[in-house]
Amino acid sequence: MSSKDAIAPMEATMEDSPEGISRRGFIKGSACVLTGMAALKASEAFGAEKPWFIIMERASGMIVGDPSLCVACQRCELACTEFNDGKADPGLTRIKIGRNLQYGPAGALGTEKLGLWGNSLVVQDTCRQCPHPVPCSTACPHNAIIAQPGSGTRVVDAERCVGCRTCQMACPWGMMTFNEDKGKADKCFLCNGKPKCVTACPSGALRYVPWSDRTKTSPPRGAFLLQVPESKAAACASCHVAAPGGPRNPLQNPVPNPLFTPAK
Amino acid sequence: MANQYGGWAGKVLRVNLSTRKITLEDTVERYLDVLGGTGIGYKVLWEEVPAHVQPFDAENKLIFGVGPLAGTGVPCNGRTAVTTIFPTVSPMPLVGSGHMGGQFAARMKYAGFDAIIVEGKSDKPVWLHVHDGIAEIKDASHLWGQGIVRTESTISQEIGQESAVASIGQAGENQVPMAVVITGRSHSAGGIGGIMGSKMLKAIAVQGKMPVRIAADKQKWENLINLHRSLLGANNQHVVPSFPHPKSEYFNPGSRWVGAPGKRWGAATPAVTLTDDIYSLNRISFRTNNAAYFLGDETWKYTVRGNGCHSCPIRCHTVIKDPGIAAKYGIQELAQNTCVGLIYGRSFFPSLAKDRGTPGREASFVGMHLADDLGIWCNYGQLQRDFVRLHKEGIFKQKLGAEEYASIPWKKCDDGDPTFLFDILPRIANKQGEFGEVLGLGTGPMLKRWNLDEEKWGADKDTAYWKMGHPKHHANEDDGQCGVVINTQYNRDAQCHSHCNFVRSGLPIHEQKKLAEKNWGSADAVDAVGEYTPTNIYKMRRAKWAIIRKELHDSLSICNWMGPWIASPLKERGYAGDDTLESQLFSLATGHTLSRDELDKVGERIFTLHRALTIRGMNQVNMRKEHDQSPEWIFKDAKDKPAFSKGTIRMDKADIEKSLDLFYEVMGWDKTTGAPTAQAYKQLGLGYVADELAKGGLLPK
Repeated sequence: MSSKDAIAPMEATMEDSPEGISRRGFIKGSACVLTGMAALKASEAFGAEKPWFIIMERASGMIVGDPSLCVACQRCELACTEFNDGKADPGLTRIKIGRNLQYGPAGALGTEKLGLWGNSLVVQDTCRQCPHPVPCSTACPHNAIIAQPGSGTRVVDAERCVGCRTCQMACPWGMMTFNEDKGKADKCFLCNGKPKCVTACPSGALRYVPWSDRTKTSPPRGAFLLQVPESKAAACASCHVAAPGGPRNPLQNPVPNPLFTPAK
Repeated sequence: MANQYGGWAGKVLRVNLSTRKITLEDTVERYLDVLGGTGIGYKVLWEEVPAHVQPFDAENKLIFGVGPLAGTGVPCNGRTAVTTIFPTVSPMPLVGSGHMGGQFAARMKYAGFDAIIVEGKSDKPVWLHVHDGIAEIKDASHLWGQGIVRTESTISQEIGQESAVASIGQAGENQVPMAVVITGRSHSAGGIGGIMGSKMLKAIAVQGKMPVRIAADKQKWENLINLHRSLLGANNQHVVPSFPHPKSEYFNPGSRWVGAPGKRWGAATPAVTLTDDIYSLNRISFRTNNAAYFLGDETWKYTVRGNGCHSCPIRCHTVIKDPGIAAKYGIQELAQNTCVGLIYGRSFFPSLAKDRGTPGREASFVGMHLADDLGIWCNYGQLQRDFVRLHKEGIFKQKLGAEEYASIPWKKCDDGDPTFLFDILPRIANKQGEFGEVLGLGTGPMLKRWNLDEEKWGADKDTAYWKMGHPKHHANEDDGQCGVVINTQYNRDAQCHSHCNFVRSGLPIHEQKKLAEKNWGSADAVDAVGEYTPTNIYKMRRAKWAIIRKELHDSLSICNWMGPWIASPLKERGYAGDDTLESQLFSLATGHTLSRDELDKVGERIFTLHRALTIRGMNQVNMRKEHDQSPEWIFKDAKDKPAFSKGTIRMDKADIEKSLDLFYEVMGWDKTTGAPTAQAYKQLGLGYVADELAKGGLLPK
């Protein structure tokens, strides 16, 4: 697959160099994406000392919940961990209902009362499969949260994950989970395209739909801390540069990438 | 011993409120032979609570028990059994259990426990915080005197909402025998509240994220859960809809499967219109709307959503919202309940008892609002039936002093004015006056205190009284001799649904007979309701099966309001369910493989322990004469139709005696006394029980 194939339609172009992409690709668009394949190759090529490429392919699907249909049974949570992990594990579940049952996302101390003791609406917390900058992935100092090849679903690469829980702090919606038995982070991987929670829902309150960006409109669940590890800071800086002389149109006026190394 | 099995959390928590000592036990090591739930409850009572102990004594214990399936994805596993020396049994307190649904069972497992045994008595108000494998006794002085709603809210504020709180209201605090413990707004366990109150235990909160492991291969488990899901009907396993539908071969107007296409959850935001795919497994939750079923079709307009227990797709509790009623009576806009809990309020009013319109709904809203906050039990509607009869027959006027009688606004009662409930229910919760005291006692002690004839109380079908202070619960009106025998076996209302979940599934009798033949060896194991035939051994095999499955469910944590699954909605299966589901679920979850018959044997052991506790508690071996009684009303018919004629549920006395003969025979019990023989105990691994009973002369000769 060439790098051109790797660019999703409607997105900006990137430098036409396989090396440039797979090693330190300078991205000229604002919301550029790579396919998971490219990202994987990139990660394989990375050494710890080199800046990492942090822009990921967009996800193709996501799960949305309808609170007016949710009946609070939590069968989605049970399907998630029993059918994927062989245990009913409220800490591990990658879709989260139980934490909103009584009072809603604002909790017992909040002022907006949803849930059983409020207006009875139960909010289903699902992974938004964020676009760039994917908070969990960006925060991971080990680049263990990657776009799944083909689907772009943000998934944890358990081999790289060291269990530092930085990603859990980074998600504004508290959707990163942790498998205590394995000592590894975990998250919704959309059951590789057949989400078991959606199949399990007895009231049709969950749907698996084409991805759209919900991150700009849904308020965070609580406090979060998006850290950018040192290893990735340079990659951020490669795009997020000062705007010399005012507004910049990178498509017309490419800024030289200070990290670019010509292929040998 | 490490927990080698899946399913169980592995630990039982023991909390002594007198000494404030907290200890742990290994579930499998101590209780494998009785599984969990009521099994653990009965075993603890047998081994640790002597026969003379009274309900409110410090020596009485409360065992909140669940089983290996609680907290898993098995459909319908949300009920917690609370076993104790039950406070409303007459003529003496005996073993009994109350059961509550909601989130408590699952959260208790996630907190790390299969059971919580509460012993002793605190000298000041406390609540128990059970979390992540530990427990803390906490001061509850700020909660004492509060209703259930505020108690749950205050504790949630302190520990966070990812928890389940079971608490008592003022009725429990005041040690009213007719008091409940409630969790999650509407899930109540009858009779337990006063015992918690006697221990000054305001609430138990359970919280944690400890996983419940499934022993089997993931794919096998997923397949079994999906099979189980496909066999579910609506509430009470009603497998045909109540309305005609092109995809249904049958319909039955009595069915709780009321979610017809076009019906609306009218108070949802936005409103939800039910679709045509009534058999879709992603629409199961729309089948049941018990608010509409019990309060009337108009209630669809006020329906917000279905609610219910953890893991259950059925949603037998309905959330309803009526701002008009809230404004009129100064109560909350939202209400939630199921079954007789929904009609708690209106049932006090003779003019509204069957009202399915606005007046009945208003009274019901007010009733739920008060009863589930004060924590007053209804004893399966017996409180209201007793009240109506006491009022109608002028007994209140005779027994209450003139001043007290005059202080009660009877006109409101006669006018069907729901504000009447604001007057009378707090009297019961606060044991105020003779009126409040007596109605809170339960039927048996009430009859005794006011010198009323128990036989007369049981002579009238409308009162629906059965025996020992408690009403019928699915007896001959649903299932002929099978129902009657089941109702003779318990010390409170039987709470058994194994039998009626089958015979009331909504299937026509010829389909039921096919299933009966397959499961109990003869089509004669079942009759159509009101077309009863004389008793036979197959009916009694079914009665035995029903009771054993009830105990099994209460110990495994399967809801006996849904299972067993003899029938299913699936025409392609000949409407058959799967009678091996429990053993398959148990075996895959725990890794301890038992066949259907082997697991049923465990259920029989658990039920036999209940029988032994009853024999020991009564100090009486002749169960047939002193315990297994039926009320007079079942032998009567309003039009004097003879038993076994079409259109009557009348039973025949000799036939019921013969039924007991046959039942004792299939149980392997002594026919004369209805008591298990030494051999029967020993065969079930209960030799130690037989030995103790022998010492007291409580084995049949």
